[in-house]
Amino acid sequence: MNWPDLSMGGYGFYVWGSYIASLIFFVWEVVSLRQRKRALAQQQQQQSSKPVSTPVLRGSINETTS
Amino acid sequence: MFYPLAGKLIPWFAIPAALLFATGLFVGFFIAPTDFQQGDAYRIIFIHVPAAWMGMFLYVLMAIYAGIGWAFNARLSSMMASSLAITGAMFTAISLITGAFWGKPTWGTWWVWDARMTSTLILLFLYIGFISLQAAIDDARRADRAGAVLALVGVINVPIIYFSVQWWNTLHQGATIRLLQKPTIRGSMLAALLIMLAACWLYSVAVVLIRLRCIILEREQNASRFAEVGV
Repeated sequence: MNWPDLSMGGYGFYVWGSYIASLIFFVWEVVSLRQRKRALAQQQQQQSSKPVSTPVLRGSINETTS
Repeated sequence: MFYPLAGKLIPWFAIPAALLFATGLFVGFFIAPTDFQQGDAYRIIFIHVPAAWMGMFLYVLMAIYAGIGWAFNARLSSMMASSLAITGAMFTAISLITGAFWGKPTWGTWWVWDARMTSTLILLFLYIGFISLQAAIDDARRADRAGAVLALVGVINVPIIYFSVQWWNTLHQGATIRLLQKPTIRGSMLAALLIMLAACWLYSVAVVLIRLRCIILEREQNASRFAEVGV
């Protein structure tokens, strides 16, 4: 094992730049997915807290759609 | 039925992905030696090449899933294609950006309209086209079909990217690792590259499954909302 030279022999800007840019993409994807999940969970909570539509209405919908 | 199974599988991909990313970067930066031609600039390879491969693999996978979803009217397969598109686009973008960071010190330019880079840029546009086409159509199944046509037509671009360095005189260097020949690269460099590739695969499976679960729920919610309004 040898400690890497942080300046990357003068190429530091390019090497670290490309890894930081990649990291930003990975973090962006994970964070946006987490937000999407959270938004979905909230919507589901709202839907389940709403009064359930009456069975009569449900039945009529099924008749018209089927 | 699929939904809870996918939920259980996710940590089995996400955790090894994180461990392999750490291992790959450790081998790539601490063990692999400095390249005698390109100096330390070559270390960009450990993210650039896996990202470029993933961009191509995921496109083919997306086209296959979209095609199956279209041909056999398989909803889940189409949803899988939609889920793959974003991760594929992300990897393609990473490969283009890291390529620019590599091109500047080695070729003296961030970008040239060389065959491989141009065809990779087209790959990114195909992904973006697929995503925006699906987003523009409200009816999910129609969006799936339209996306499938675009994805399948665009598949022709993948072999063009792959063979571009052989077919045309390009600035981009040729393949370092071939299926039938010995790779022209040191053992520890190759190890770091393959570990990073495995990490990218596992990462992709994890995020694609998470997104697929979101898509399933979103479509269910939309369906139930329509049912409530009585459309």
